[in-house]
Amino acid sequence: MSQAPQPLTPVESNDPITVPKRVAMVRPDTRPTLRQSEEKWVMTFPHLIIREVIMFMLVVIGLSVIALLFNAPLEDLANPLLTPNPSKAPWYFLGLQELLHYFPPVVAGVVIPGLVVTALVVIPYARINLVAGPLWSGDRKRLATGIAAVTGVLVILFSAFQCWAIVVPSVLVAAAMFVARSEGKGKPFRRFLTLVTLPEWVMTWFVLVAAILTIIGTFFRGPGWSLVWPWNMYPPA
Amino acid sequence: MSTFQLATLSTWIRSSAVWRSIVRHGVADTNRNRSLIIFENLFLHVHPVKVREKTLKFSHTYWLGGITMVASFVLFATGILLMFYYHPSVPQAYQDMKELKFVVDNGVFYRNMHRWAAHLMVLGAMLHMLRVFYHRAYRPPRQFNWVVGVILLLITLLLSYTGYLLPWDQLAFWGVSVGTNMAKEAPLIGKPLRFLLLGGNIVSENALLRFYVLHCVVLPVVLILFLSVHIWRIRKDGGVQGPPEKDASEEVEP
Amino acid sequence: MPLRRLFAITSILFFAVLAISPLKNALRPYRAIQREYAKLGAARAKSQKLAQAYQARPVSIQQIWLPGLQNRVDRCTTCHLGVQDETMAGAPGVFRLHSRSFHTPKDFDRFGCTSCHGGQGLATLEEDAHGHAENAGTPMTPLPFIESGCGRCHQAEQVAGAAILSRGRKLMEKAGCFACHLVKGHEGFRSEAPPLESVALKTGGEALKRWLKDPKGLDTNASMPNFHLADADIEALTHFIFNTVPSRTLSEKIRTAGEEKLGDPINGKKIFAEARCISCHTVEGKGNGTAPELSKVASRNTQPWLLAFLRDPQAFNPRTRMPRFGFSEADTRDVVAYMVTEFKDFEAPKEMLDPVHVNQSLAEKGQKLFRQLGCTACHAVGGAADRIGPELNRIGDKRAASLDFGKRTDVKHTLPAWLQAKLEDPRSLGAGLKMPSYGFTPEDNRAMVTALLALGADPVPDRYQHQPAQRASLVPGGGVGALFDRYRCLSCHQIGDRGADISTAPLTAEGSKVQKDWVIDYLVLSYTIRPILTDRMPVFRMTKEEATTLAQAFETFYLDPSIPEDPFAGQPATSRDPVEGKHIFDTLGCKACHIQGDKGGYFGPPLNEAGRRLKPGWTYKWLKGPQQWRADVRCPNYGLTDADALKLTSFLQTLVQKPAALKTAKGGGR
Repeated sequence: MSQAPQPLTPVESNDPITVPKRVAMVRPDTRPTLRQSEEKWVMTFPHLIIREVIMFMLVVIGLSVIALLFNAPLEDLANPLLTPNPSKAPWYFLGLQELLHYFPPVVAGVVIPGLVVTALVVIPYARINLVAGPLWSGDRKRLATGIAAVTGVLVILFSAFQCWAIVVPSVLVAAAMFVARSEGKGKPFRRFLTLVTLPEWVMTWFVLVAAILTIIGTFFRGPGWSLVWPWNMYPPA
Repeated sequence: MSTFQLATLSTWIRSSAVWRSIVRHGVADTNRNRSLIIFENLFLHVHPVKVREKTLKFSHTYWLGGITMVASFVLFATGILLMFYYHPSVPQAYQDMKELKFVVDNGVFYRNMHRWAAHLMVLGAMLHMLRVFYHRAYRPPRQFNWVVGVILLLITLLLSYTGYLLPWDQLAFWGVSVGTNMAKEAPLIGKPLRFLLLGGNIVSENALLRFYVLHCVVLPVVLILFLSVHIWRIRKDGGVQGPPEKDASEEVEP
Repeated sequence: MPLRRLFAITSILFFAVLAISPLKNALRPYRAIQREYAKLGAARAKSQKLAQAYQARPVSIQQIWLPGLQNRVDRCTTCHLGVQDETMAGAPGVFRLHSRSFHTPKDFDRFGCTSCHGGQGLATLEEDAHGHAENAGTPMTPLPFIESGCGRCHQAEQVAGAAILSRGRKLMEKAGCFACHLVKGHEGFRSEAPPLESVALKTGGEALKRWLKDPKGLDTNASMPNFHLADADIEALTHFIFNTVPSRTLSEKIRTAGEEKLGDPINGKKIFAEARCISCHTVEGKGNGTAPELSKVASRNTQPWLLAFLRDPQAFNPRTRMPRFGFSEADTRDVVAYMVTEFKDFEAPKEMLDPVHVNQSLAEKGQKLFRQLGCTACHAVGGAADRIGPELNRIGDKRAASLDFGKRTDVKHTLPAWLQAKLEDPRSLGAGLKMPSYGFTPEDNRAMVTALLALGADPVPDRYQHQPAQRASLVPGGGVGALFDRYRCLSCHQIGDRGADISTAPLTAEGSKVQKDWVIDYLVLSYTIRPILTDRMPVFRMTKEEATTLAQAFETFYLDPSIPEDPFAGQPATSRDPVEGKHIFDTLGCKACHIQGDKGGYFGPPLNEAGRRLKPGWTYKWLKGPQQWRADVRCPNYGLTDADALKLTSFLQTLVQKPAALKTAKGGGR
């Protein structure tokens, strides 16, 4: 209360986020642009409600059909003396369990999931991806060396643990990033690639690694956590 | 003939004092009545009366948040039904699974629905988060709602995980044993945390009881709490946020 | 508006899909089965009222709940409605009446269904209940092995009414399974296999190699299994065995025996027959078969060893079942002379019995092999530490999914099929398996699998466990004990719970059963009591003093307090009427099985000397219930009154004729 308001000082900048032109009305975290065309508005009832109800019914129908066709698994009574080989966690933890195969338990069980959750929480506050342009829009040379360096470090690090399930997608994503360097004229997919931002590339890499680890853990791991084809799995996954 | 009768019956019901005491608006034939439907109704009034037309497009959100929520509704409904037949004790818990299949009317259906809806909810929440990331829908002022979303995802995982133990079969027992052994590795807090969660040093009947209480009471309450915040925030932040506007040229400086 | 149409379609679909589960519920198979049962019952019912009762039955799940038996809930009767219903005798398929057995129909509510049949009692769908559905739990026990269910409660080796199970359990003991596999109740098992040190004294290199190659090929009665050894391994093992150093006393016995001259084979043949060797041994397949086949025995064993062994078998193998006969020195020489001339493999090479010139490095290799192959389990003194096979205690509840079928594709993925395959060809179920082949017949195989399936994971509650009353198995020490040991009475007779089952006469109550004078005569010169039996008491050439000591021991120790000394005491004088007794004897038709006078059947023992042989108290008790002593006694229980039984006893007491054999008996030959 006692503090006197700071005097307003004019700042010269063209960045609409840091210096909005409408001084009083726009907070720095809102979009300062206005749309030229008027948006079309519709009544929530019935337009939205009917869609919601249809969506609800479709989901329930889908679930019911699955529930009628496939029974939830139920194995023998729990027996602490009889360890099934392999014993697996639920599918959404199998990525972590797969990591456990490569890394010490502290890393796989605590550090990596902790990092993932922290990274997810931080995303909006670090303003990630909010103002990013397409990947190759900046200093192309620096970026190329940067990507190559990071990829190289990742590859060496994970190769040291023989974790090919991470090395291969890392290399693939890096390769795709370099593919996006040249504009593919007339090819929609190549054109699309050029528009992808760096945070999106990183997220894609993360999702790809997580998915591959989960799939390997779910379908390709047999007794003693050895690699097994799904059709050779006994008992079946 | 019969349609006519149905119509008169419908009119008769709608004009009855009881009906009018419950539903205060007329037939949804005018925009006024349509608006009333929304804000006179506790369950619908999280919606605004009018929405932007483009948010109705499928590719705007792919309905992923909605699907996740429907899955959670199904889980609440089937979960309450399953609670009637379930005892969190060993080996009765396992026997109850058999009873569901062999004796309880529709028991298999409830259990299957619950199981598959749980998978759908986990998967839906994950995809919903991805969609929000790629659409950059966590832009200000929605930062905090993103964090609430992350918390909701963690609660969903915990719900699914605590529910995983309840059938008390080999799959459940060893799945949970493997998972809690991972938690043990956390420095300092790992072992006490695991002890607290399991009520002992191994997965036992104590663990079953704790997981049951967490699964059926604690976590659902927390979920409802955060889900309310999540949805309230959507409404306050101006409705669902779709993909970023494509072309800046459409926008002008005022 | 297409959205409205979509709404209409999804609404209809929504309710339709949600209606499927209740519909399925209403169409559960057991409901149709119960309606069919009601129809069938009404058609078969003997009266109008009964038929109406069938039709009035509500459709509902039936169950037998046994809180005291592992909290079992058996819903099998939901479909198998006719198991206790006499009108369903001979009914088709699922409704048929359960066959009669010792526990059925009276004990359905005590045992339920799954305690014998296995399968999933909770289930109400056939696939799940019978255990054929995926993850359904342990499947039902196939009917050929159904007696394994008996064995879950009945722990004793012999279970009355469960012949296959009993046979399997006996075979497991005989085959020596417990030497390698730990099984509860058999922790103290010791194999009868001879200690190694005497083998080198007994046989030659070539004979031993042939034996190791295929024991059953040389001796059909061999209890040693076939280890499928490679020739190099056989060579190494032979060197190892011939490298063992026998004790001085044994080698001395062999040495002195080697210096003796051969006796008279003709007298030997007579003694061989008299001594009843084939009560345990076989000669060309004829005989009991619990001891080695003798027809080629002289080609496998040296003559000095045969002589020394016959004189004192127990010195060579303390655990042997062979008694020490009381033959004179000359008699032994004659018997061995007979064996050497007669029991020979004439095709065997001359060097069959030549000793091996030991190669030390081979012997060391053999020693290692000996341990690796698990030979020590039977051939060396040792306890549980030597058991190289897995424990079998929970095998009956193993899940098929946890079994290794190796490369066998012809075996069904069930536990009984796996066990059968394992016993048939143990090493075919994977690489590196050590279990040898026993060459069981299919019948034996089935019996053993039954016995193995009875070894469950969860013990049944105490009040369901059936332990036969422990009968005292007293074997006295001192001089009497030494005689028991020397003549190995327990190799054939049972005393209490101990002993083998070759003889039909247990010795547990022998003192209450037979007259002292008779038993002395009998021990000195045994003769045939029951001509129908092939396994008869050997003639041990016991001295009269030894026989008297044993008879005295019977009179002192082997008494049954429930058998009265004098059954006539306190009874009216009319009960001692042998004439009435004779009348009863003729009316019951005892002569159909027993010889009396000069006529009668051969199934039971002749009764001409019954009064000399048996004590009246025993005879009386026997007549009151012949099955009290052995469940398999064929003599019918006529349900005689006390008075009639006493009259019959008094008649039998009058029969005191000496058998012809005894009139010329000359007594012990020593």
